[in-house]
Parts: sequence; C-alpha cells; structure tokens
Amino acid sequence: MAGIIGLYGYDPAWKMARFIYYGLMALQHRGQESCGISVYDGERILCDGRAGMVDQAFGEAELEALRGWIGIGQVDPGPPNSPKPSFAKCPIGLSLVCDGSAAGAVKAAKERGLAVEDPQSALAALLSKELADGDPFGAIERVAGILGGACNFIALTERGEMIAYRGELGIKPMVVGNFGFDYGAVASESCALDVIGAELKADISPGEAYLFTPWSIERRTIGEADPKYCAFEYVYLARPDSIMNGRSVYEVRMRIGERLALESDVRDADSVLAVPETAIPFAMSFSNATKKPIGMGFVQTGRRVRSAIRPTQFERLVGVQLKLNPIRAAMAGKRIILIDDSVVRGTTTKNTVKVMRNRMGAKEVHVRIGSPRIISQCPFGIEVPDKDELIAAHLNEEEVGKVVEADTFHWLSLEGLIEAIGLPRGSLCLGCFTGEYPRHGDRS
Amino acid sequence: MLLVGEGAREHAIASAICRSPQGPKLYAAMRLMNPGIRELCLRSGGDVVLGDSMDPGFISKAADRFSVDFVFIGPEEPLFRGAANAVEGMGIACIGARREAAEIEMSKAFMRRLMWKHKIPGRLRFQAFRNLEDAIAYIEEYAESVAIKPARQAGGKGVKVIADFQAYLSKEKGHVKAEHAKAIETKYMKGYSDIEDRILIEERVEGPEYTVQMFTDGDSVAPFPLVQDNKNAYDMDIGPETGGMGSISGKGMLLPFITREEYDASIDIVRRCVKALEAELGVKYKGIISGQMMLTPLWGPTIIEFYSRFGDPEGVNVLPLLRTDMVEIMEAIASGKLHKVRMEFEDAATVVKCFAPRGYPERRDLAAGHPVRIDVEAIRAMGCEVFYGSVDLAPDGGLVTGGSRICEVFAKGEELPEISERIERCSPFIYCLDGWGVFHRSDIGSATLLKRRIEQSELIRDVYRYRMEKGLIGMDIDWIPGKGKIIHSAW
Repeated sequence: MAGIIGLYGYDPAWKMARFIYYGLMALQHRGQESCGISVYDGERILCDGRAGMVDQAFGEAELEALRGWIGIGQVDPGPPNSPKPSFAKCPIGLSLVCDGSAAGAVKAAKERGLAVEDPQSALAALLSKELADGDPFGAIERVAGILGGACNFIALTERGEMIAYRGELGIKPMVVGNFGFDYGAVASESCALDVIGAELKADISPGEAYLFTPWSIERRTIGEADPKYCAFEYVYLARPDSIMNGRSVYEVRMRIGERLALESDVRDADSVLAVPETAIPFAMSFSNATKKPIGMGFVQTGRRVRSAIRPTQFERLVGVQLKLNPIRAAMAGKRIILIDDSVVRGTTTKNTVKVMRNRMGAKEVHVRIGSPRIISQCPFGIEVPDKDELIAAHLNEEEVGKVVEADTFHWLSLEGLIEAIGLPRGSLCLGCFTGEYPRHGDRS
Repeated sequence: MLLVGEGAREHAIASAICRSPQGPKLYAAMRLMNPGIRELCLRSGGDVVLGDSMDPGFISKAADRFSVDFVFIGPEEPLFRGAANAVEGMGIACIGARREAAEIEMSKAFMRRLMWKHKIPGRLRFQAFRNLEDAIAYIEEYAESVAIKPARQAGGKGVKVIADFQAYLSKEKGHVKAEHAKAIETKYMKGYSDIEDRILIEERVEGPEYTVQMFTDGDSVAPFPLVQDNKNAYDMDIGPETGGMGSISGKGMLLPFITREEYDASIDIVRRCVKALEAELGVKYKGIISGQMMLTPLWGPTIIEFYSRFGDPEGVNVLPLLRTDMVEIMEAIASGKLHKVRMEFEDAATVVKCFAPRGYPERRDLAAGHPVRIDVEAIRAMGCEVFYGSVDLAPDGGLVTGGSRICEVFAKGEELPEISERIERCSPFIYCLDGWGVFHRSDIGSATLLKRRIEQSELIRDVYRYRMEKGLIGMDIDWIPGKGKIIHSAW
C-alpha cells in the first residue's frame, strides 16, 4: 500500500510541489517510511525521494528546488532504499508513483533486457520503453497486462503528459478532481484533494486510464473492468473523510458500529470506549444504537502513527503504547465496551485490556472489533503478517477472549461488513477475511 | 438587414432573422466566410462581404453598399468601437448598444461602479487598478479569495479565480496571483488602450452560473429562457477556461437548478442596470443585454459580468426556440415599443455542444489551419443542427479551422440527458481531414452533471436564504481586534 497523487497544472505560473507536499500529508496514513515528489518544468523532470514522513523529509529548500507546474508524489510504507518516485529515462524520460503490487514488472522487465530489481522501478522502466512508439494507451495496455489488475500508478513524462491508471480489479482506490481552471488532480483518496482545496469529481473506474496532455484529457478503459474493491480500506486503511468508490468511509464506519451493536450488545455496560483513532466512529454509532454513553478512554502522544502497518514489532509496540495512554476516570469501576478496529496478533488488545482492568480498575471489559476476523495475508501489498501470526486464523472468538482476557469478545461478521459497505459482495475483495482472492497475475 | 459577425452565435441570429414571415433580405459582414451564414444570405436574396468585422468603418460601408434598413451586431468588439453610433449616425436602425452603453460589458470596473452607485443587488466588492505595481502591492497585502480579471472585456480571456482558504498554500497562490496580474498587463490587456483601468480584483464568490439574455429598447426588456454554459475545456468540469464548451436550457424558461424567483430577480437586476445606464449617460440601451449570473451565498442571484450581446454558445440554445418574428422585435426595439411585443418560445429543453480543434483554447496557432469536414446531412439525420463557428471557406469549397471552436451542435427535446446523448452520436461526423484531433465535452446535459449542479444550487440556496433571514444579504461582517466590527455592507 502507498498513497499517490498527481497534479496537472494548466498555467506554468503554478509551483506544484507544495500542493503535492500537503496532498501527501493527507495521504500519510497510507505509508510513513518514505516519500517523494517529482515535477515537470517544461523541459525536465525533477525527482526527489526521501526517508521518513513528508513534513520531516521535505523542508522549504527542498520544495523550492522542485519548480514545475505538473507533479506527482508518493508516500510509502517501504524503506527508502527503493527510490520513490521511480525514474526512468530510456527512451522516454519518466517518473512514476504506484500503489499496489507491481511484482510482475520485475520479471517482465528482465524479459525485455531491463535488469531492475525493484518492482516500481521496473514498472517505470517498462512504461518508458512502451511509450516510445507514440501510442500512450497502447503502452498503458501492455504494461497493465503485466500488472495483473491490482496496481494503480501515476506517471509523468518529459513530453508533458500525465498518465493515471487504476488496475482493472480496482483494489486500490483512486479519484479524479480539479481546482477551477488551474489544475486537474488524481489521488489515492479524496481527502488529499480536500486538503489542497481541489474538488472531488469522480472515482477513476477499475481499468480506467486518464491521459492528461496540454491539449486534452483522454479516458479509456483498458482490459476488462472487474471491480474487487478492498474491503479493508473501509475498515481501517482509508481516512474517514474520504469518499471511496462512491461510498463515504465515515458512513461505512458508522454503519459498522451499528452492525456491531446489533450483533453483540452487552446489556449492563456503563460506557463505550474506542481505541483511537480508526475505531472512534464505530464506537460513536455503537453508543447511539445502544443508548449507552460514549466516553473518551485514551489520549495519544506524539504524531498519529498507523500502528498496524509499522514494519517491526518494536515499532508497533512503541506506536501502540504512545497512542494509548488511558484516562483512569473514564474506566475506573466501570463496565466497559471497548471497541477497536482490528485484531491481528492479539498482543495489542491483550495489553490494552490488561492495563484497563489491572491498573485503571475497569470492572468489566467487553471487546468488540469493527472488522471481521483477519485470517489471511494480503497479496496486494497490504502489510498483514503471515498467516502463522494471525490469531483469528487459529482461535475462535471464545478462545481469543481468554487470550486477551476480555469478559466477552466479538468480531464483526463478514455479512455485517458487506452490508455496512453497501456494495455488492461480488465487487469486493474480502481476501484477508476469507482467504479467497480475486484472480491475480503476479501472485507470488 | 445587415448582420455583423461570423461565429456560431451569428449563424443562429441569421437563422432566426430568415425565419421571419416578412422575408427579409439578409446581408452579412464577416471576417471569415461562415458557410452557414453565407448560405442563408444568398438564399434570402442577400449577399456577404468579407473584411474587418470589428471596424465601424467597414460596417458602415457595408450598410451603405447594401442600403439596409437594419444592422444587427452579433459580437461585442464592434460595439466597443462605436459601430452602433456610426450606423445610427447614418440614420440606420441598429440592434446593438451604443459605445457608451456597451461600456457595461467593456469595462468591468465601470459596471461595478455603476452597480454600487445605484445600489443594485447582486454586486461584488472590487478594486480597480490603473497599473501593475498597485495591483501587486494589493495582492501582497491581502491573502484573499479573489477573481483577478483584465479590467476590460478581452475576448472572455484572462480571468483567474483563486480560492485562497488554506493558509499553508497562500504563499504559492499569492505568487500565482501576482504572475497573473503581470500576464494581464503584458498579454491580455496588451492591445487595448481605450480604457484607463487595467486590472480588476474582485471578491471571489462560489455557486452555479447561468446566463440571462434579453432584448431591450432601453425601457422594457424581453427575456429569453435561462441558459447555462460550461467553461472548463474537458469533461467533469476539469481543464482550462474556454469561451464555453457547450450549454443547456430547460423547459418552462428555467434551468432545472434555478427557481422562477431567482430567474425573475436576475432579470430585475439587469433591468435596473439598463435604467441606471440611462440615468448616467442619457442614452437608451437598444439591443441585447445579458447577465452572466451566479447564485451566491452573498446575494442569491449575483452579476459576474455583463454581455452587450448574446452569449456564445448561450445564444445558440435559445435563438432556435424563438417563435416571435425577429424582424418585428427589431422594429420594436428601434421604435421603443418592445413592451408591445409578445415573446414566444417553443417549450423545449436544449443542449449545445461545441467542437474544437486540439490546441484550443491556449494554442490557437496550433488549432488553426486544419482542413475540417462537418457532415451536416448526417447530423441533421440524427435530429441535430449545426451552427458553424470558427471555420473559413477555402477556395476549393472545403472548410479550414480558424483556431477557435469549429462549430456548435444544437438539439432540442424533452429531457436533457437524451438530447446530450443524441449530440454524442454526431461526434464522428466532425473531424479534421489531416487527422488533427477534434474534442468536445460529452457530459454537457448529462444526468451526472445535472445532479451536481442541482446539489450545488440547493446548498447555495439554503445559505443565501439563511443570510436573507438574518439580514445579512449583500453584507459581510468582520470583527477586527482594536478596530471592532467592520460591516462590509453592500446596501
């Protein structure tokens, strides 16, 4: 998973780097390890990839140096040793950002005599080569064929074009928007458009490619669209202020809370508390539906960190502990319904419940999870651990309840999730909950 | 009758004139040979003459040569240069505002001052600058959401609207504002020395736009059905600003997202401006006046700009619906008896889509000079009609692109989305013979776009009604530490 954005200016007076910078900050939850920005200045592509979060990696000087009115950017959960954005210059100078699994690109590149080990760089190299014949949509089609449908990319060329493509499975989200007469925009999530003052216009459809040139925007559907929207985006990955595949993420999360209440209320509880921050809408609507008061159980220290996608166990633990300083008065002597977004290994939940009961004096802790059981690793680039590490793949609800020392424990049902999302089951990828994934070209 | 102008709008005017049961003889003075206008002229027993159609001298000469009774001026530029004054000086009736009255379109600063002086609703706060330095100093001092415009009508170009709400992007936007002010001075205003104000900075407002077009004899007005134009070059309202890529009108004189009340209020604003003009100048406004309006939180119906003519493409939507005899209307305008004319329209929804060569709007040099074919018969067979735009008749009888919109395809019917789709089926019949790209917007009149406009107008309507209830209409109240309450009142 990554967060990507592309802004296509129509007036060379614009310096787009700062817009991309703030757009990337809005996408920071999609990747916190490395980031980068490329811009086109009418002649060249200037490319700058760095380690860390966007506001740590880029300062005034770096942004000033990136002069250009068309640009792309990426935040990525992967380490900075693979350059992001990628750059290729053979034969067409091109920079590329992507979200999703591009593993097939390495093999395909090798077959074409391009020795590139990093999938994203391989994708850039392939696209650069294919674009040489002057038929951009033909080039996109050939590259899309290699990707297997689960990868989105945005590319910027030295010819002043911007190409945005959403894989035909539509697993990763992508939207298009604009800012008045001044620029067109594409981004992983609509919140990135909001933050830079641009207006959301539409979802890019699965398999759809947009070609921005100085004189046109052309749209074509490449291959056969087969929507399999990632359900986990709605539960956890996306920001609640985003609108994704025509569905408000916030509304979905509020419905998840209602469903949880319907499926598994606790009759004599005193208070509903959320583990911040994804689970807050779940808890709010759980409280609304059950008329049990909502409280504020935890305060976060430091910047917002996506604990589940931190690369190492130590970092995850630091992330979790920093974001979970409990408020004693919210739980002491009370019967609590604790709502969280997901349980992967169970260690975080166990720590939280223990602290609540043993140190804060909660009388009862009933754990409700706004996601169905995660039982399988994602082949599409979401950092879910191996199946061996997934507690839900091995234990049932009652057993998990004992492990985490909860009074009762419940996961949202799969049906509940599907209903909350409100899209047909057939158009969703539910692989992490079922182990069944859509057809996938480069599953490796 | 002598018609001045060579675009799709003038083609639609010519067509309306030729429908008159009085069988007028139509002549045309044009810069390029518009084949549609030419055909109508020849068929009516008239003729055409090519020359600088903006030049009052050329127009007077043509009027004299064809000894016409009426001159109908289509575009704004001849009006700014005094074509109506020249023609009337020869004792010939003219449909088109006199130089002084056309100032309401030509000078955006004049228009705003007029509205403020006469306290006409729908006005915006503005600053006019006579030099670049002052404009830039202002931009540097105030980080505001503004529209920066050439102070003079410059072919509809050079307007930049910057929403400046995020403090973290203000610096970047300030840079673009200053760059744009420079571009206005060095590019858009370059050829114009007939005006002292150079750059206009206006408060930015937000809402759905629409155009109300009407005839006036200076006393009463005879309005057309409402039209909405779409200015972004590409689908979904993305892309640079154009002169308009297509427009819609609805049944019952209204648009699906503008109420009768708002329509009436808009007409009233324009009428009050016509009367204010007379009070200032002592001349009656005779011809066409159009308000390019926006529904805003500040006022409800608000004036963005005035046209001293029909909009293009907006005129093309409604002229074909006119059932009243155009010659009768022209006579009534000339004699000051417009109130006696009953304006009748066919009650249909309409869609107009503009087809433009690749390169439009920014690089007309690239867009011009391509041989183009328009299969008028095939388009007619689809139930649509072609109005020729920026094309020239080549010596071999073929057409060549002029750099702007090639043609406008019009269709009418019951439901906008159906009409829009009908025009879509015509797009294969308009193409350049050398393979150069031709583009248009597929979404004009579509259900998706309509829904978006309706949602937007409902939102804005709620806001301006709330402000009306609170006595805040046309007003903005700030509180500044040390200064206290500042009321930016438009009353």
